[in-house]
Amino acid sequence: MTLEEPATTDAAANQWEARGRSLLLRSWPVLRVLLTLLLALLLGGIIMEISGKDSIAAYRLLYREAVGGQRQFANTLLKATPLIFTGLATMVAFRAGIFNVGVEGSLYVGAFGAAWVGFTFTNLPAIPLIALCFAFAALVGGLWGVIPGYLKARWAVDEIVTTIMLNYVAIFFTDYLVNGPFYLPGMANAMSERVAPQAELPRFIRSSQWNPAFFLAIAAFIAVLFLMRRLTLGYEIRALGSNLQFSRWSSMPILRIIVLVMFISGALGGLAGGGQALGVHYRFVSGFSRGLGYDGIVIALVGRNHPVGVLLAALFFGALRSGSTVMEIFTDVPRDLVDVIQALIILFIAIDLSFTWWRRWRARRQESETAELQVA
Amino acid sequence: MEALELLTNLLASTLRLATPLLLTAMACLLSYQVGLINIAVEGLMLSGCFIAVVAGAQIGYAWGGVLLACIVGAAMGALFALFVTTLRADLIVTGLAMNFFVLGTTAYLLQILFGVYGSYTPGDLKSLPIWRIPVLSEIPFLGKAFFQHPPLIYVSWLAIPLTAILLYRTRAGLHIRAVGVNEEAARTAGISVTRIRYLALTLGGLLCGLGGAHLAVGELALFRENMTGGRGFIGLAAVYFAAGRPFLAALACLLFGFFEALQFRLQTTVSIPYQFFQMLPYLMVVIMMVLISVRENLRRGRGGI
Repeated sequence: MTLEEPATTDAAANQWEARGRSLLLRSWPVLRVLLTLLLALLLGGIIMEISGKDSIAAYRLLYREAVGGQRQFANTLLKATPLIFTGLATMVAFRAGIFNVGVEGSLYVGAFGAAWVGFTFTNLPAIPLIALCFAFAALVGGLWGVIPGYLKARWAVDEIVTTIMLNYVAIFFTDYLVNGPFYLPGMANAMSERVAPQAELPRFIRSSQWNPAFFLAIAAFIAVLFLMRRLTLGYEIRALGSNLQFSRWSSMPILRIIVLVMFISGALGGLAGGGQALGVHYRFVSGFSRGLGYDGIVIALVGRNHPVGVLLAALFFGALRSGSTVMEIFTDVPRDLVDVIQALIILFIAIDLSFTWWRRWRARRQESETAELQVA
Repeated sequence: MEALELLTNLLASTLRLATPLLLTAMACLLSYQVGLINIAVEGLMLSGCFIAVVAGAQIGYAWGGVLLACIVGAAMGALFALFVTTLRADLIVTGLAMNFFVLGTTAYLLQILFGVYGSYTPGDLKSLPIWRIPVLSEIPFLGKAFFQHPPLIYVSWLAIPLTAILLYRTRAGLHIRAVGVNEEAARTAGISVTRIRYLALTLGGLLCGLGGAHLAVGELALFRENMTGGRGFIGLAAVYFAAGRPFLAALACLLFGFFEALQFRLQTTVSIPYQFFQMLPYLMVVIMMVLISVRENLRRGRGGI
């Protein structure tokens, strides 16, 4: 901020210049994200060329299969659906300064919860049953998230390690459920029974599994946007994430905020699982996710911890994922290439010197935490 | 007599299953002592598995694979150090990225190089031979439980006291611990924090490579996609469990190994599905971490962040 008043004659020009500059400054971070994505795709292409594949053809096919038609576009939205949820889930926790790696676990318990309601309360009509399924998925997912949240808030147990451990607990626990109490004989893979027919989410077009869970994800996006921008809790979350000591000194209820944030984060993860169970598999399938929860971390980072960014990043990765399946079939480029590209993107974001905001934010947090320790 | 036989087998399989955990735990311990959470151990270990099998098959000897797995593990550890110290990248994000990278790359290469999905078993690669320690392996029961194992198991036993000696009896170890306790103070005392962190993470990478090699060519000779399956994280958990003390961490690893061995036994005898027992080590870690933190907080007289 400058104390000098601009000369009156130049005021208009200055204003124009300032506006132009601020536009450039504001779009610069976005450009940097795009550059990161491009760099990762370029490296992916180099990897393909080294392994003797035609990268141009593969990418062309990937692009066509992602957005090149009605079915393709529907598939992209289908793949983006869980990613929007898990991206938002991770983002909300990140904004409060909590490194929640446990969305994967919430997703598993949420998926099982939704399926359980779906095959248990079979005499309910469609709308109440589906609503109940999702509500229950959000509840169990949220409670699963509250465990590490409460432990961190109350006893300062490191959330990174506990959430990683709880992911494995959730994966094995749901696996146990469909191999034990809810065992379904005669199936090659462990899975629960099928949900009631009226609980199965309808599909919009015949050739794609795209279903209304996508619109639930959009609703969740709007809700998170509203939460972060308009609600006191959103302000408290941001305050907590950017400055722990400020939050403490202004006597915010830190424990309550952390527990609530982790409930919201876990509930979003649970909804992601519920959407997959009711919209794609029509049941709980053991080990179905293969990292959708972890993908949320990538999406939150690429989306720069902002709901709009998260939505765009989820659509981008949805396109990549939906295209890669077909790419594997027609160009025999393994679809694991997408995982490699995704890992490169995270790596670039972590290393990239331009992402100082993230590092500064972490450093500031750590500083306030060490200062806190010294005070204690 | 039969019960004794059973116990011997249980002990032997505990030791075998604990070996990769012991090696990664020592890797995690070194980074814990320099004040870094090494999330990347899982990926480093998986790269060790892959290299051990692929290089072993190329060379024709499993030992060649083990050596290369160590070298690649150390190199990856150094790379991780480059990212998090010199380039000042975020520790957790970089660690996760490295795990994803190794997971994706090994799956990709499996299909590109060998055209197989999921798992690869080279036909002409033999696993490491079993070493019978002379005299000692002749002791009834104890011999079978402790002294008839693949060689890397003995190496993992050596790794524990060596880590302890490095940390508590050498100059480098003193510097490592100093950096972990207070980075600024260590820097003021003229210690190169960066160099110490490189050292700890590179050594850790080597140990992870060795652990991966044991998993891949120690008893069988095959590579499976994601064959580490969270073992790196169990090693990490053991270190938290032990609050950074080498022998206690080793004990925790043995306990987890015992759980795993028990779970294999129970699969055949108890009607509870084995997934239930698979969940237990991870659950135990969470419970232990809570207990440690609660005690810590009570001692300090306050709780929470």
